[in-house]
Amino acid sequence: MSGSKSAPKLIEGFFRHEYGKLIAVLVRRVGAQHFDLVEDSVQSALMTGLESWTLTGLPESPSAWLYKVAANNLLGTLRQDTGREKILLKHAEEALFSLETTPEHFSVNELQDDMLRMLFVCCNDTVPIESQLVFALKSLCGFTIHEIAHHLFISEANVYKRFSRARNSLQQHSLKSWELDQTEYTTRLPAVSNVLYLIFTEGFLSVNHEFSIRQELCREAMWLTTMLVNNKIGQTPETFALLALMYFHMARMNSRQDSSGGLLLLEQQDRSLWDRQKIQIGLTWLEKSASGNTFSRYHAEAGIAAEHCLAPSFSETRWEQIVENYLFLEQASPSAIYRLNRAVAVAEWQGPESGLSVLQGFESPSWLIGSYLWSAVLADLHRRCGHIELAENYRDLAIMSAPTQALKTLLQNRFNTNK
Amino acid sequence: MSKKNYLCIMRSPSQTSVKREAPSPAQMEEMFAKFNAWKEQFKDNIVDMGGKLGDGRVVTTEGVTDGPFMETKEIAGGYMVVAATSMEEAVNVAEQSPGVFPGSSVEVREINIP
Repeated sequence: MSGSKSAPKLIEGFFRHEYGKLIAVLVRRVGAQHFDLVEDSVQSALMTGLESWTLTGLPESPSAWLYKVAANNLLGTLRQDTGREKILLKHAEEALFSLETTPEHFSVNELQDDMLRMLFVCCNDTVPIESQLVFALKSLCGFTIHEIAHHLFISEANVYKRFSRARNSLQQHSLKSWELDQTEYTTRLPAVSNVLYLIFTEGFLSVNHEFSIRQELCREAMWLTTMLVNNKIGQTPETFALLALMYFHMARMNSRQDSSGGLLLLEQQDRSLWDRQKIQIGLTWLEKSASGNTFSRYHAEAGIAAEHCLAPSFSETRWEQIVENYLFLEQASPSAIYRLNRAVAVAEWQGPESGLSVLQGFESPSWLIGSYLWSAVLADLHRRCGHIELAENYRDLAIMSAPTQALKTLLQNRFNTNK
Repeated sequence: MSKKNYLCIMRSPSQTSVKREAPSPAQMEEMFAKFNAWKEQFKDNIVDMGGKLGDGRVVTTEGVTDGPFMETKEIAGGYMVVAATSMEEAVNVAEQSPGVFPGSSVEVREINIP
């Protein structure tokens, strides 16, 4: 019997994403007050699926199969609670098994609607952003508390605390307020985009994790963002720009580390390793984002990433375009990090003295002065201006305050090769 | 060389003695992939993937009693039938199975049919 179905293949992330789908669909049907029961039912349905499919092969529709098992589990648990009123049970049973809610009738769109709805419900002002982020990773992407702690480099207790806040806030919403109106979708879209952006940058910028773990976070962010732009509510120039930005960054992912895992500077990266196909897709989204009259931070950041992707070499980069985008970002939300980046771009464009002058008389917040980035940029600019002593001071500061060994090594290499 | 059939009985510690943490969805995906790779590798050996074993009864001349049977610490949780030319080969199939986790065991018995 073993050969009856030849090596069944499931798409990558199948179990995790089914988890997210089922949570969203079931919570929508029985109400967020049963969130914990839903989680248990889904977890147990996945386990049953795993056990059963390894023996007998995959059913025709694994998703529908899982839905039935999870819904039955859930109903069973609800029945066990003797205190529950009959009328509520009947409501749950109808919601789970009435003809039009059977999985055969689900469309891909409906499933994604439910998942996005859950994300939008969670992304409200009363939930701190770091809780929204953890909630998305757990309830939509199907990571466990333990895995999220590993991904974000924080303690499990911390992850749990963050998750509970989001879940408690959801539970306070009755079934009715789970339905958002168009205005709420519109007003919450920036918060949703921001969470997706944060998941992506956690993966992309974090220097604490191994390569594959970081990439996983980026892929999840792109999966959710793609879901968002495939839905009417997410089809705005901002979300298109956000997705473009993600594609451009992902295209360069493989060249950011050398063969031994050390980080490489943009200047040292082998541009032939960049993923042309991803750059192309990014450009398509960037083009789509150039409509309407908004130019968001995602537009500016996607614009910068596109300039890097399209430049034939480091020296042939259109630095003036990059400077312009950083200027926009600074004006939109004054942040020292944008200023610092602009200084770097100006130095490449008009020389190190001009770069330094961007930072002159600038009051940097203390967190940035203490960060290795600030010192590293100043060390570099002063060295190129011939201010040897200043350069050495900043170099030592930078290496000292770099948070990881990979970064310390990167900085040491950078300053050694430039001696 | 002709093949004989072997009965593999999967045993695991009873739930109370060792509590196994439920795998995460990501781990399930990994387990599923491993299991399928194993099935593919030994597809010529696996005669019957068998299944899980439920509760049972012991029938003797004295009457019928409920399980568990001889063991109280271990539970025979599943079985399968493997074809192999030797005990060593059958043991190898069982050994490589991803279903064998720390604390569990597989008993491999040749099925002698005269």
